[in-house]
Amino acid sequence: MVTASHVNPLDADASLSALVSLQNTNIGSFSRKVTSTAGSLISPFSDSLAPGSHYHHAMTEVSKDLRRPSIQKRVFTFTKSSPSEIVRSKLSATEISHRALTYLPDELLRDIPDNDATYSLFQGFRASVDTAAAKKHREGKNLLEDGGPNSMSRLTKERDTMNEALDLLGIRKSIASTEIREIDAKISRLTSIRGTVLERLAKLEQEETELEHELLELDNRIEDIQYEMVEENSPIGGDEEGESGGFMSESIYSKLPSPKGRKHRSAHKRKSMPILHEHMPPGSEIKEMQCHADVITALDFDFPFGKLVTAALDDTVRVWDLSSGRGLGLLEGHHASVKCIQVEDIYVATGSTDATIRFWDLSRTDVPSHPGSNSVTHKRGPQSNQEEDFEDDMSAISSPTGPMSSAGTQDCHLLTLDSHIGEVTALYFQHGTLVSGSADKTLRQWDLSTGRCVQTLDILWTASSSASSEDSGWSNITSLGRSSSRTNMTEMKADFVGALQCFDAALACGTADGLVRLWDLRSGQVHRSLVGHTGPVTALQFDDTYLVTGSMDRSIRIWDLRTGSISDAFAYEHPITSMQFDPQRIVSAAGENVAKIYDRVEGRHWSCGAGVEGQKEDRLSTPAIVDRVRCKEGYLVEGRRDGVIGVWTC
Amino acid sequence: MSADNLPYAADAESPLKEAELEVLRRQYEREGQYVSIQTKFNYAWGLIKSDKAAEQRYGVKLLTEIFRDAPERRRECLYYLALGNYKLGNYAEARRYNDLLLEKENQNMQAMSLKGLIEDRVAKEGMLGVAILSGVVIAAGVMGSFLYKGITKRSL
Repeated sequence: MVTASHVNPLDADASLSALVSLQNTNIGSFSRKVTSTAGSLISPFSDSLAPGSHYHHAMTEVSKDLRRPSIQKRVFTFTKSSPSEIVRSKLSATEISHRALTYLPDELLRDIPDNDATYSLFQGFRASVDTAAAKKHREGKNLLEDGGPNSMSRLTKERDTMNEALDLLGIRKSIASTEIREIDAKISRLTSIRGTVLERLAKLEQEETELEHELLELDNRIEDIQYEMVEENSPIGGDEEGESGGFMSESIYSKLPSPKGRKHRSAHKRKSMPILHEHMPPGSEIKEMQCHADVITALDFDFPFGKLVTAALDDTVRVWDLSSGRGLGLLEGHHASVKCIQVEDIYVATGSTDATIRFWDLSRTDVPSHPGSNSVTHKRGPQSNQEEDFEDDMSAISSPTGPMSSAGTQDCHLLTLDSHIGEVTALYFQHGTLVSGSADKTLRQWDLSTGRCVQTLDILWTASSSASSEDSGWSNITSLGRSSSRTNMTEMKADFVGALQCFDAALACGTADGLVRLWDLRSGQVHRSLVGHTGPVTALQFDDTYLVTGSMDRSIRIWDLRTGSISDAFAYEHPITSMQFDPQRIVSAAGENVAKIYDRVEGRHWSCGAGVEGQKEDRLSTPAIVDRVRCKEGYLVEGRRDGVIGVWTC
Repeated sequence: MSADNLPYAADAESPLKEAELEVLRRQYEREGQYVSIQTKFNYAWGLIKSDKAAEQRYGVKLLTEIFRDAPERRRECLYYLALGNYKLGNYAEARRYNDLLLEKENQNMQAMSLKGLIEDRVAKEGMLGVAILSGVVIAAGVMGSFLYKGITKRSL
């Protein structure tokens, strides 16, 4: 109709304006007549007849038909759309895009299931729009009721509205329940999508690890070639070269002495970090490995899916690749079982009952060294038989529980620290400083760049010479030791120094007397003692605010380092043997076949591991008790008494 | 479907108040990506009732989404799509949807009345279009004939 006004001024013919007015009064089936009219109008051009008469004749015919709308309808139903619509749909850009967006293909239109919904969308619409109005209405009515006459009609009207309101409520209720069902469906859809994406992530990480490995091999080959070139250029000997050469990394560890006559590979840093475990539901199993045949005494790893170092009562220390589950080699040198391990980046410190601490460089494990070079002083030849080496290593790896060769790891040893005269039970290193605690009742501080002991802290001497509270604490030691063995401790005896950690000059150690001592390494003095545990402290860790300790007295205590008082504490059924925490959680081994986890954010206790209900059914034997736990970024590794290592997310 | 489950076309011609539509829009936007179908429909219906073509178009778009996402609501959506397209003047689409609905429910009063409305409107606009076209032709014919006469007269 808009188009009419546009076209109108073009011709002043009266007939058109007549037509326009006609359209309001239901014009008849027009097109047929009009075409005939047009035909008769055009024909007179050649006949040179008066055009007006033809037109008039035609128009009278048309106006006859105008009284028969049914014919008009019949004529127009075969044209699916009106001309104005056609014009718009072909010319207007917004219209075209709108049509593209809202076009529904025929297959969708064919697929229309029967509707079994309890309410229609329109009812839902009315119900939600009326919500506000209905409430107001009810309030208003309550006011009216006070004074109005109780006429019959008014009451029935009220009853009707109430019934209506009730119906609306029913519809709203079913809207809500439908929405819940919709959300449930969406959740399940999303969960399945999440599953497939997780699988994809796992595959990507697998590829990533393989690539990293290949990259590392290439790096090492390049270095080998460089090394050979340097050796050829200086005929005097490669021994000095190794120490002063340019192969050192720039880290703090670069001061570490490189063993003479050996190839020093620069520290290889992974470019990528696995994140798969972060996306798995907490408590799901990642891996289980039979690492040793005896009780696991210590374990640590560098990062999730990285390298794991384990020690057991079978007196071996083994290195594992957590992403593949393969053994990489043995760390040989200790004459007795290892009681404490710390892995930091590529460096490993192990403290043993043979009273020594050994320091290792794990970056030398990846490419196996020469199988025949068992002599330390023997200068290594060129890497001619690299292939052979690799095969050798593969055969060693293929059986994880079988005999493992140290071929791949014998170059790892960097230092031996042997001043202790009792077994080393705890150690911690950071920034070139290592602190160890021993059964000789001393703590020693070592400089890792020289391998010398720089300070010895005598716990007994400090205990006897400092405050009275510590005196009483120390006098309890023997009795406490006995009491702990009377309780569930049949296999394990409490170590004198159960755990320690240092940060710069601050050192915390937990001892068998149940005390936690905070030392200042600069003065060598205890500046604070935390009293509370009634059994030997076996685990200890602190961050910038909190210090968390685990003890044979079955409790975990969280101390606030700013005030020196307990901020939280809880207890398990059995003595704590190992504990680690991060801002998220406190993971501990408490004499059960599961790792106990305390969620610090939610304040919730839960268990993770092979002994959890539901995990048990598909296992042949009941899992052994977990003795050692380590957890980094939600990646939990636990070591059991039967030599099995389990890896979980938490 | 019972009688009051669908609105008549007349209902679609009475626009909501700005504030009412605003409430529906806010609800729709608050639910964001996980908007429920009812909320989406409420907003879409509010838009279709509007007298602004842009809003009507958006309403039809939302309804199309509902049609795609919720098979159990397709039958109802057919009617609203027909109605929305009818208001927009897209009679071909309107008829396509409405006829499909009538195929499924030949007793649907609302759909039948909408069918009548669509046909009326198509006929009217069709008539008008043809009238205009023919008017132009007539005018041209008249002018042409005068010119022709003039030329022949002058040549004589």
